[in-house]
Amino acid sequence: MELMKLEIVTPDGVIFDAEVKQVTLPGSEGEFGVLPSHATLVSLLDTGVIVIEKSDSSEVAVAINSGYVKVEEEKTTCIVDGAVALSGEDSDLAKALEAAKELLKSAESSKVAIASAVSKVEHMGKSL
Amino acid sequence: MANLKEIKRKIGSVKNTQKTTNAMKLVSSAKLKRTEELAKKSRVYAAKLTELINEIAQKMQQSHADGIDNVYFKDVPNPKKVDIIFITADKGLCGGFNVQTIKRTNQLIADYKAQDVKVCLRAVGRKGIDYFKFNNVELGNEIIGLSAAPDFKQASEFISEVAEAYVNGETDKIILVHNGYVNMITQEIREDQILPVDTSKLELNAVSTSELEVEPDDDDTLLAALVKRYVEYTMYYSLIDSLAAEHAARMQAMDAATTNAKEMVKELTVKYNKARQEAITTELIEIISGMESMK
Repeated sequence: MELMKLEIVTPDGVIFDAEVKQVTLPGSEGEFGVLPSHATLVSLLDTGVIVIEKSDSSEVAVAINSGYVKVEEEKTTCIVDGAVALSGEDSDLAKALEAAKELLKSAESSKVAIASAVSKVEHMGKSL
Repeated sequence: MANLKEIKRKIGSVKNTQKTTNAMKLVSSAKLKRTEELAKKSRVYAAKLTELINEIAQKMQQSHADGIDNVYFKDVPNPKKVDIIFITADKGLCGGFNVQTIKRTNQLIADYKAQDVKVCLRAVGRKGIDYFKFNNVELGNEIIGLSAAPDFKQASEFISEVAEAYVNGETDKIILVHNGYVNMITQEIREDQILPVDTSKLELNAVSTSELEVEPDDDDTLLAALVKRYVEYTMYYSLIDSLAAEHAARMQAMDAATTNAKEMVKELTVKYNKARQEAITTELIEIISGMESMK
């Protein structure tokens, strides 16, 4: 399967940089998925969860408070303010979950968006 | 004899000072390393963000024939009111670090006053606040603690407040002054125009962006959000830059202090030895002349 490069950048540095199969992003106009060779696009990101399908088909979730995404055919760059990654390999999953929820709750956006993001994080936490 | 004792005490106290300055130097060098690392990491973010702003601004310029019509980009030829934000350290003992920033700020104020422009000062860092308060200059904001521990959230809260004043038309220009880090031994005063966005820094007309889709489908909203982030980020980065420079300056100052102390100990030791020699000689003469008189 085709792969694309995904980068997630926060003010504290790059937190994710790898080849991925697919990524689902919380756009300000609604959630959308990006596959390789997507048309060029710039979008605002709302409080929510970025779900990444890695090249080995394992899933990683990254909770974000707000930011932007720039999609190019071969590369997707997310520029976010704050992010917490949740993945199955993480030994401190519970701690990461707490941090993710904290981050989401402190975000300045609608209660609906925060609530749905928090529930999604909880769901992801169970399935990982 | 009292002289001898006094010199000895002085040597002890200088040695103690030397220990303190040396420790401070080590602490600063460790902190500098950490701050440098932080600055390096966040530079990536800055690069990406600037790139994105570039593209959106270009797109807007291409779709509007008369340039970018946005509140963040309107350049006022004769500003009536200017906000100056300046960053100093919370602590001293770092050579001319704070004084340089204050000097430049003072110069800016004088320049603008000569042009009949109202200036509003916003201070970050205790040293700058103390200085202007002592000189009875009114400050718009006083923030302590942020320059010693830059925090993105706090920085963005502060700058948002300033940016809001700009959007509401209360001020025409926002300038940020800070002492930036160049390398271990050099600091450089940096003066950035935060708002309106300095279009000369953007590389317009570099790439064609007609293919670019934008969501939400309104360039203005997106650009406004981007610029806001850009401004917040510039503030945050300046804080980190200033902190790195502060540590470098302190390291240098403490290094010089340690060297000076070493020199002083050397001089005092020579003086002590001489005084001791003198005392012995006098005593000997006394004894000998006493013996002579007994004969």
